[in-house]
Amino acid sequence: MENETEAAAQVINGQVEAHVISAAEDESKLVRDAVRKLPSHAVKELLSMGVCIRCIFRLIGVSECIYSCTSLSTSALSTALEKGMCLEGDMMDNGLRIQEDSNSQHSSEEPELEPNLCRICLGILQFTYHDGKEMLMKSDCANEFALLIAKVVKQEGHQIDSFSLEVSIPSRVMENEQAVWLYMKRKYNSELWFPEQLHSEFISAKDVLKLSITNPLETLLDIKSSLSSAFRIRLTYTDSAVKIKVQKSTEMKECNKRRKTGADDMDTIGGCVAAGTDHSNSCTGEEYVGRSCNGLHNHDFPDLSQFQLEKVSEPCRLTFLCHRNPVYIGGRYLKYSRNVSQTRWIIDDERMGEASVEEIIGSNILPIFHGDNYKFHAAGREDIDVRMLGSGRPFLLEIQNARHVPSEVSIKEMERKVNNLENKLVKVKNVKVVGSQGWNLMREGEAEKQKQYAALVWISRPLEDDDLKTLSSLEDMPILQKTPIRVLHRRSPLEREKIIHWMRIERIAGSSQYCLLHLCTQAGTYVKEFVHGDLGRTHPSVGSLLGCRAEILQLDVTDVKMDCF
Amino acid sequence: MEEQKVQDPNNDPQSKDEILNTISSSSSSNSTQQQQKELVEEEELKRLLVPDVRDLPLTPSSAVETNFVPYFAPDFIKTGHDQYVYRHANGLCVIGLAPTHLAFKDDGGVTAVDFNVGKSDRSGIKVTGKRKKNAQHFASNTALCKVCTKDTSYIVRCCVKGSLLEVNDMLITQPGLLNSAADREGYIAIIMPKPDDWLKAKSLLVGADEYKKLRELF
Repeated sequence: MENETEAAAQVINGQVEAHVISAAEDESKLVRDAVRKLPSHAVKELLSMGVCIRCIFRLIGVSECIYSCTSLSTSALSTALEKGMCLEGDMMDNGLRIQEDSNSQHSSEEPELEPNLCRICLGILQFTYHDGKEMLMKSDCANEFALLIAKVVKQEGHQIDSFSLEVSIPSRVMENEQAVWLYMKRKYNSELWFPEQLHSEFISAKDVLKLSITNPLETLLDIKSSLSSAFRIRLTYTDSAVKIKVQKSTEMKECNKRRKTGADDMDTIGGCVAAGTDHSNSCTGEEYVGRSCNGLHNHDFPDLSQFQLEKVSEPCRLTFLCHRNPVYIGGRYLKYSRNVSQTRWIIDDERMGEASVEEIIGSNILPIFHGDNYKFHAAGREDIDVRMLGSGRPFLLEIQNARHVPSEVSIKEMERKVNNLENKLVKVKNVKVVGSQGWNLMREGEAEKQKQYAALVWISRPLEDDDLKTLSSLEDMPILQKTPIRVLHRRSPLEREKIIHWMRIERIAGSSQYCLLHLCTQAGTYVKEFVHGDLGRTHPSVGSLLGCRAEILQLDVTDVKMDCF
Repeated sequence: MEEQKVQDPNNDPQSKDEILNTISSSSSSNSTQQQQKELVEEEELKRLLVPDVRDLPLTPSSAVETNFVPYFAPDFIKTGHDQYVYRHANGLCVIGLAPTHLAFKDDGGVTAVDFNVGKSDRSGIKVTGKRKKNAQHFASNTALCKVCTKDTSYIVRCCVKGSLLEVNDMLITQPGLLNSAADREGYIAIIMPKPDDWLKAKSLLVGADEYKKLRELF
């Protein structure tokens, strides 16, 4: 379906670039040719049923180029059709004319000015809809409609280099077109023009809409449409009548069934019948469709002329949504404070710590991109009272629905903004824009890699030179660590083996019992517990190795060894 | 904690920037600039890490003192059966023998610890998972273990109603830990009380000051 759109878009690219007037002439010729080939009696019948011209075209299988005739208005289309049909008027079947007459009364009830909403597409292909403020909007041609969309996109202030168009339409449209198509199949199956359409599916309303507005949008926004574009324009049509229907079926406790049939593949007769039956149960207005669908299923359907589509009084509600896929900013952060948590940490409305790395980085970078929101991811974390120094820790900031595209300038601006904050709690470095694969990169390294720490340690006796040797002689030492008491309330009680890769004691001038312990451990080691032993639950510990009591006063992460960022 | 004074983070990053700026303006070669930058960062890190000894206490408070609030159950059930309850901020309670427990007054102190009391061996139950599956719910007077001295034995009890998460099975092979470090490696068990049960239990316990006063430990 998407490929069709693209292929069709390519076919008509040439036209867009051509002169507007000549393009319009080309288009009207295209329409005239298309109309000439139509089976007039079937077209008349469909018109009398209240089917719009674009729906007639797609049901009868007019080639795709016609839908991208953008300058062609609905009224011009209908004029062309009238002309075309009159030329071949004498070919018209008498029976059909009678039927048309019986319906003419119906159509004359509605004044010309009032838009006749298509009973298949509910006005979608007539570019008629209700906007968010319940205003009735009607565009005469695709260009006009595209202009409205382009205006919305521009209002949002997105910097874009391409777009992809997404359309969502109510399932009722599919139900309707299926019912009509089955009816036509039964009635005209034997006629020459029909069989060739039998095997090929007719083009969906969704695709017709896309075909109609893609080109004008490309022109208006001066960018190309691309399926892989990170910027999406989404048109969501919702059936104004559905709300009532669903309510009614809920009352009848058929809500689930109704939903299920709605989601079913409407191409199957069974699905169509089920939906039809449901409607006739829930709403009297639906009875026509219900009966006709049932009738179609039944091979002994007595009177084909009784087929009718339900009148559409309300167009669909249309909502526009412009959305850009997340922009990912990778880098490393440094945390200089022992009172700043990594993520926002609030317990019972009370903030823990004065700020968080997440908020400091996110709130400063988000405005640069004019995004809606941000998400902060980091490769592991440190306790609130542990500083993150040295290499810094890899992080990924996900900016949702960014209006501005990141550039070299904005990267520098981000670093400057965060690093020049008054309080100097957090800094960032190696900041760059990464793809969504940055996520995997970070996650992979998280569990496997080594972490380097510096701990301020006090021991219960004076430090001896042998102690320095004892600890530095140990390489890749396995330790057994029971889940520390401080996290035992929320983590599973387990005994985990971790590796201490190396240790080095740095004496502190002027003190015999204090020292700096530099150590490199496997990711996931609880370093504080490794120093004080956690009531002997981590073994061996610095205390047990030195044969004395060891206490840890502060801890800093000095290196997170990871390839990314 | 006292480390806030050790380094003032407000000034440090600032000074680093100033140094870096001077370097970038004076140095022309990219690689030297990189090397210089690394050197500066290294010195900067060292300066952040090494504390001023004058700011450090002669004897810092221990991890147990920092992380737990001590409570005591003097004469629990029986006279002289003094136990401690160390409560962590996360609600878990470490149960053990207070220094004034009768067992320590016996000649030679504790010689054995037996967790096979009551209906089950307390050390034989493996609690698993975040939800602490298999944890037994005990009342405050439920027996945790029996500590034996040369002549007699004493029943150690929960003191707090709650789930028994673990007992210190090191005591089975090293009962001497009770004599040397009853408030650390010689702890008896870890219990997780429900918040309401903790409040009830707490009202029957005494604080460190009251305990010392009671036992004339000043």
